[in-house]
Amino acid sequence: MRLAAVLDTLQNSAVAHAISKSDHLVGATLQVVHIFGIVLLLSSLVLVSLRLLGWLLPEAPLSVVAREGRRFFRIGVTLAVVSGTLIFIATAKLYGTKWIFGLKMVLFAAAVAIHVLLLSRVLRQEQPSPAAARTAAALSLVLWFGVGFAGRMIGFA
Amino acid sequence: MNEVVPPVLAGLYAWAEKIEYSAVGTAIAESRYLFVLIEGLHLAALAVAFGLLLLVDLRLLGAALGTVPVKRVLSQLRPWIIGAFALVFVSGGLLFWSAAARMVANPAFAIKLVLIVLAGINALYFEVAVSRGLVGEGAVAATPRAARLAGIASITLWSLIIVSGRLIPYLPSWVPGGIP
Repeated sequence: MRLAAVLDTLQNSAVAHAISKSDHLVGATLQVVHIFGIVLLLSSLVLVSLRLLGWLLPEAPLSVVAREGRRFFRIGVTLAVVSGTLIFIATAKLYGTKWIFGLKMVLFAAAVAIHVLLLSRVLRQEQPSPAAARTAAALSLVLWFGVGFAGRMIGFA
Repeated sequence: MNEVVPPVLAGLYAWAEKIEYSAVGTAIAESRYLFVLIEGLHLAALAVAFGLLLLVDLRLLGAALGTVPVKRVLSQLRPWIIGAFALVFVSGGLLFWSAAARMVANPAFAIKLVLIVLAGINALYFEVAVSRGLVGEGAVAATPRAARLAGIASITLWSLIIVSGRLIPYLPSWVPGGIP
């Protein structure tokens, strides 16, 4: 099976050994960074979605709110992806074959696609159509919070 | 075991065990999906509460939404932040209910609680003594020193609360030999 071989190679890599052989607080630190990334990422989507739906700061230009959202998103996604990749490499064989981890990755890919193809395009307009704004906000929230929920479940499934 | 446990602590442990082994506590702990669902809710609500509060704090420091008046940022974000924190506290209370005995023996949890009290005092102080003195107009003007300090305190405390919360499963119990 090729997946098993890939997971095996990952978990036996130098990076994986460095993480798993170090103090358990290194793993805990990665988890702390991961959660900060997730919190920043999710809150940025809540912020721009509420503005797109007209429920928050409706009089502020969309570009002003979108700029703050973009800062939170970029920092958040960087922290979450870097720490998440390191956590995964060290535990590839344990998590890589779980269906819930697969679901998380599928949701993550869909969320990134919606972000690039829809949400960031909508946020670049000053007056997006209400239908486009609502669709982008709803899809982003469902997908990204879905990634978060699926991730939270990995340890339990 | 010749270790003497102060009566207050012994009482606390007894109370925590009673909570954890109550009908609701065991129902949450033993349900395969309920516990995970509440944890997910705790995390999701925390993202909304902390993220939007961070935006308010950065506005107080003049580092975000600079063209929107401070008072407007506060009044617009306050209901969302309070609503999300309400969800964080309710879900957190339920999680505690299902693991009370382990939690009272956990140093990270104790530190987290102390920090939450401090963050609450800071927020109350800001609302009662500082926010009323903020001017509504003149968007770009710097906010008073007291408001900036409250913003820094808020960011620091809530960040540490997240750190201590995430460390709960990683720190060993501070009751050697387990709970009496």
